[in-house]
Amino acid sequence: MIKTAKIDVKDQDLLGALREFFKNILGKEDISAILAPWRLPTKKMVMPTLVTDPDQLNGVDPLSPAFPMNSAKLVSRLTRKPSGGNIAAVMRPCEIRAFVELVKLKQARTDELILIGIDCLGALGNRDYLNWSGENGDEATKKFAGQVLSGKTVDMDGIELTQACRSCELPIAEGADINIGFFGVDTSRQILIQALTDKGGRLLEDLDLAAAEEPASRRKEIDRLISERTAFRDNMFAEVGDKIGSIDKLSAYLAGCVNCYNCRVACPVCYCRECVFVTDVFDHEPSQYLRWARKKGAVKMPTDTLLYHITRLAHISTACVGCGQCTNACPNDIPVMPLFRTIAHKTQQAFDYEAGRSLEEKMPLSEFKEDEFTEIVGLNN
Amino acid sequence: MGKKMGKALVVGAGISGIRSALDLAETGYGVTLIEREQHIGGILSQLDDQFPSNHCGMCKMLPLVKRDQSSQFCLRKGLFHENIDILLNTEVIAIDGEPGKFSVSVRKKPTWVDPERCVGCGVCEAVCPVEIPDTFNEGLATRKAIYLPVPHTIPNPYVIDLAACSHCGECEKICPTQAIQLSFEKRKDFRVLVVDDELIVRDSLKEWLDEEGFFVDVAESGSVALEKLSKASFNLMLTDIKMPGMDGVALLKKAKESFPDLCVLMMTAFATVETAVEAMKIGAEDYLMKPFDPERMIAKIVQIYEEIEAGDVRDLEVGAIVFSGGTSYFDPAELKNIYGYRTNSSVITSLELERLLSGTGPTQGRLVRPHDGKTIEKIAWIQCVGSRDVQLNADYCSSVCCMVAIKESMLVIKKSPSPVETTIFYMDMRTFGKTFQRYRDSAEQEHGVRFERARIHSITADTVSGEPIIRYAQTDGSLHNETFDLVVLAVGQRPARGIEELSKLIEAPLNPWGFIQTEPLSPVATDRSGVLAGGSFSGLKDISESMMYASAASLEASRIIHVAGGSLSDESFSEPALQDVSREEPKMLVAVCNCGNKYSEHLDTEALTHQLEQDPCVDKVVFLRQCCTAAGWEELTEIIETSKPNRILIGACHPYLYIRKLRELSHRVHLDAEMMDVVDIMSPTFAYIKNPTNQLSPVSHQLSTLKVGISRLKNMDPLPTTSLPVTRRALVVGGGIAGMHAALAIADHGYPVDLVEQSDRLGGNLLWLHQTIEGVPLEPYLHEIVQAAEKHPLLNIHLQTKITAAFGEVGDFYTTIESGDKTIKTIQHGTVILATGGNEATTSAYGYGTSQAVITQKELESRLVQGDVDLEKLDSVVMIQCVDSRQEPRNYCSRVCCPTSLKHALKLKAENPQLAVYILYRDMMAIGFTESYFTAARKAGVIFIQYNLDNKPRVTIPTESNTPLFITVTDPILARPLEIEADLLVLATGIVPQLPTTLANAFAAETDQDGFFLEAESKWRPVDALKEGVFGCGIALSPRSVPDTIATAGAAAQRALRILAHEKLSAGKIVSSVRHSLCSLCERCIDTCPYNARYLDPDRRKIVVNPAMCQGCGDCATTCPNSASVLQGFTDVQVLDMIDAAIESTWQPGSSIDPVGPKQ
Repeated sequence: MIKTAKIDVKDQDLLGALREFFKNILGKEDISAILAPWRLPTKKMVMPTLVTDPDQLNGVDPLSPAFPMNSAKLVSRLTRKPSGGNIAAVMRPCEIRAFVELVKLKQARTDELILIGIDCLGALGNRDYLNWSGENGDEATKKFAGQVLSGKTVDMDGIELTQACRSCELPIAEGADINIGFFGVDTSRQILIQALTDKGGRLLEDLDLAAAEEPASRRKEIDRLISERTAFRDNMFAEVGDKIGSIDKLSAYLAGCVNCYNCRVACPVCYCRECVFVTDVFDHEPSQYLRWARKKGAVKMPTDTLLYHITRLAHISTACVGCGQCTNACPNDIPVMPLFRTIAHKTQQAFDYEAGRSLEEKMPLSEFKEDEFTEIVGLNN
Repeated sequence: MGKKMGKALVVGAGISGIRSALDLAETGYGVTLIEREQHIGGILSQLDDQFPSNHCGMCKMLPLVKRDQSSQFCLRKGLFHENIDILLNTEVIAIDGEPGKFSVSVRKKPTWVDPERCVGCGVCEAVCPVEIPDTFNEGLATRKAIYLPVPHTIPNPYVIDLAACSHCGECEKICPTQAIQLSFEKRKDFRVLVVDDELIVRDSLKEWLDEEGFFVDVAESGSVALEKLSKASFNLMLTDIKMPGMDGVALLKKAKESFPDLCVLMMTAFATVETAVEAMKIGAEDYLMKPFDPERMIAKIVQIYEEIEAGDVRDLEVGAIVFSGGTSYFDPAELKNIYGYRTNSSVITSLELERLLSGTGPTQGRLVRPHDGKTIEKIAWIQCVGSRDVQLNADYCSSVCCMVAIKESMLVIKKSPSPVETTIFYMDMRTFGKTFQRYRDSAEQEHGVRFERARIHSITADTVSGEPIIRYAQTDGSLHNETFDLVVLAVGQRPARGIEELSKLIEAPLNPWGFIQTEPLSPVATDRSGVLAGGSFSGLKDISESMMYASAASLEASRIIHVAGGSLSDESFSEPALQDVSREEPKMLVAVCNCGNKYSEHLDTEALTHQLEQDPCVDKVVFLRQCCTAAGWEELTEIIETSKPNRILIGACHPYLYIRKLRELSHRVHLDAEMMDVVDIMSPTFAYIKNPTNQLSPVSHQLSTLKVGISRLKNMDPLPTTSLPVTRRALVVGGGIAGMHAALAIADHGYPVDLVEQSDRLGGNLLWLHQTIEGVPLEPYLHEIVQAAEKHPLLNIHLQTKITAAFGEVGDFYTTIESGDKTIKTIQHGTVILATGGNEATTSAYGYGTSQAVITQKELESRLVQGDVDLEKLDSVVMIQCVDSRQEPRNYCSRVCCPTSLKHALKLKAENPQLAVYILYRDMMAIGFTESYFTAARKAGVIFIQYNLDNKPRVTIPTESNTPLFITVTDPILARPLEIEADLLVLATGIVPQLPTTLANAFAAETDQDGFFLEAESKWRPVDALKEGVFGCGIALSPRSVPDTIATAGAAAQRALRILAHEKLSAGKIVSSVRHSLCSLCERCIDTCPYNARYLDPDRRKIVVNPAMCQGCGDCATTCPNSASVLQGFTDVQVLDMIDAAIESTWQPGSSIDPVGPKQ
């Protein structure tokens, strides 16, 4: 069975080659639909779209730096119950990692799904993308992809990739069934297709592609990318750490928050149907607010802003994949992602866990371990 | 309607006694649990960590169903159960009557400190001038004459060791609660008569006893003594034995005739000890040896004084008695003391090491050498100290020491700050239990524990450094000297202290080793009908076996009480009707105990009242004078009856003490006990009094604690307790000895039982097993029990029947069975016992299957029974142990093979002494009293040759028949290969389970990696599955002997009866539930629930909680991110309100009367 294959790129048309590849997939292995980033015909935005008509696959654009939402929750919606056919979902690595978390949380299933990962070229914030992309979306994508893959410094008229992308040390979709590889590959001539699971292997077999070797340059390029990103990330952790080191500092960090809860809606792993913050749990008696106000002389309303973020950190920091959609969604430009990633990095490290790494790994707090954190629970004495 | 309640007495509150008492109490009997020490827990109160989890785990004994009847906290701290009366410091002094109707006298000794008044402040201890070795810490630390017997019980009143007390009276003066009443003046009323012909003895005794405060008179002869006795009454007479004229024995006889209540102590020289012992048979209490050691003598007399004068004797009427007296431990300083114990301070016992490792020990758990604080880098254990020693009358294996040593070595490695070398010197490493071998292997291979098979010659001290040097011989005879920092003696078990007297008292004999005699086929019954032996009282047991034997004993006790018709019954209370307060606004009574105004300067009643009444839900704040007293409690009850609150908060000292009281109060005032709470306001007050610096003032603490209590109570939702109906019928799978025994036990209690057996005959392994190692024939027993099963009107036997499907939960299972003729039937039942047994393993090792001369032990047994072996014609028989056993994949000891080989070797030798019998073994697992058969076999000339896994015996099968086999094995003593000619090679292949995974899974029971039934907890719940209502017994659990199988069957039946005895199982008040509208069905609560109480109902797409199985731990509520999982009694609203209350109340007196007032 072939594990690694290639598709040829004609006339340096990377998008065209990808679109042909997706057309090829439709119908194979009982795949009746593809969910992929797709350029809305009337608007310039790229949105996750479920496509069944092969002709419509000409609108697919997985290389675009548009990343309006994390599609994990959408794939969860498509797979929660049997749909009567297989779906292939084209996703960024962070989307796949979030999806893996949702599967563990029983919010999604993988049995009628083929995950197609792509080497992630990074993305812009939503407003940045709309400002930058201009009228011709395909041209914008070509310009962007060309710059990223040539290894040159990406220059997009002063607009930068999101902080989430620049600090992302996991740009390869390890958890996919099939991965589409660009890094370290001569993308002017070919694209690398790799099967990462048995399911992916069967599809690859069916696609009848030419076998290929992974070029040696690929690992090198990925390592370079990762070390660059890791350095940026660690710098970010240090900076954020300084800014949130006390309750007062954290309050200042989140001072702009208006409790709109957009970050929660945008978060792919905030999976509760009804968040505890919209239930009556934090509805206090009017007299209670007055007592607080009297005690301190003044009390900010609503009173649970900080608690909201801390609670969300407690709930999802072990599942946070760092996709940055929280920052993207914030109307008041609070850097939510750096805060969450900084904390998530520590909590995941503490549980020897990496969100989205593997379906087999049990989520922290899901099982009782007697010897866990003995120094904290006082079992060491 | 109330139900008949039988009563039982359990003697000894170690873990075994606690297990028996809880079993009986949970089944609905009234239990009196007595303990001669001042605390419960027995030896386990000294041991913190147990194999295999290396934690404690005692709490796992607590009830799971109807758990609100009982305390639900650390059992080392204490135990409360509605149906159990615990009497500490109490001993049995007389037993009369018959099964079903015993009359028992028990005597409670005084502790001289009123536990009701003692608040544990400890000021008495500080002023006590006496300092003696602390028994709790095995003498590694000291204590005062007034002391805490254990550091951890609640309540934990002080007691006085009167024998050590110097009567200075300082403690009595300083006690703030007047809890100490030494009442020395009362001693004047205790009249002692000293009779001796020697003036010097009379005078010195008089002087000593005068000093102790007793009234003393003297007499120089028997006749003078009798005259004095007739003139004035005396409590105690001390009499010499050898006196001119009337001797002491004659005086005793005469005195006892006229004054039968007089207590007499004989004084004797060494020459007349036998006479003194004889005198005890005719009524003397004890004897004192001359020359006197004043300290011991006075201790003895004080003890008698305590018993006679101050003892509180009460009579109990009970249906059955369980003795759980445990064991004591060998003192290595006794006799020859070859290890220099107590002379070399670097030689300690395993019990001392446990104390050194304990956080409550002399070094607070810091592992250093006790006498000089040296870091331990090299430590050795010496096994079998006082065990397996014929000279010490200990021809038995203490059974627990091997695993204790391995566990201790692992703990030492874990607790040592720096690398430590650990060595265990042993004869046979007896890893006979379920996971023991793998635990040993991991100690050796992963943790580097060195196992050294050796004989210890002696321990000497280095002449310069004094470090202990172990001189030992390896198996090849070579001698070695090795220096260690610390040597630990694995001291063996001894019969319980005072067991001889007890044996006389209960009229039941002791076995040859001094334990209570029980019979192999009724392993918990003593010779006295109605009196049972639980735990290790009848022999050597580890924790899990103690649990099994304790439950087996409680089963037999229950059976006796049941057969007697639950006589001596009390009518228990019927559940009272509770008022429905769910629609009322909270109206709370806050009652604060002022502890008899002893701390009035620390209790600002005005401020507290003002503060607390600010909360609109507080109706009234009252202050009570000592609510722990009957009068104080009555005062509270009256206030409640007049003011009719719907919530009651009590601020007092130990909340644990009030569990039972609140339930009684609830019955009386018809308010749900869940609407009442007790909070501890006294502990912080005491802490402040002891150390006033750096502390919040007591008033802020009291306020904060009370406000937190108010917050929890006012938001309490008074939901009725749910209960689940019980189908009072049991299913037993497997018709072997275990299944039949369990089924009969349940049926004898009046509940129908379905007994399912896949073959066409009842009997299991007993169909081929002929006799036990003790020589008890099994056929008559089998015949009897099969007949009993077949005749029992409530027992439905289904032969040639299989289980095809099952579902359900405790109290309500549905199981489909299919019989041989394909008839399908569904049975509804409340519990299930899996007794599916096991078989001898098959093998292809050592040429088995290629020669008629190679057989298994089972085949040998059958041949011996059928007379198929012509023993006269045999010259040589070789037996190989551990065939395919104790190595992966079957890395466990099958436990029965060594005794079986010994049994057969002895039989062969008995029939043909000329026959050469060789047993090739790895470690002889002759545990418990089986050791004596190992000794007997060696005496009979059976040759034992030890082999290792890397050097297994080799067998050469001859090509021609009728020529002997050749077995080659390396003898470690000769250190060279031996070639043995054998006519017969007998293989001990071990036991494999016969529990199909599909069957186990049908009942949601799990199997372990070897296919045996997986216990909920290997030590503390050894016959329970994790899923309530499912039990296992016999070989399905793990390989075991017939007596042990019978005990496990009894235990499983008892665990089942505890459920079947109730029409309904009531859940606890604290149970979790699901708010379905919030639930995202992520199922994390299901994964995290340790009690399997939650499942996803696939049809309704909802998470369902079984309230009877939920134990209210709250794990689900912490895992659920949006509070869809709710724990009753700890809802978000309650907990958040409590946190607010705690934070708000940081109020300092003197600042402002209003802590939430404007900032200054």
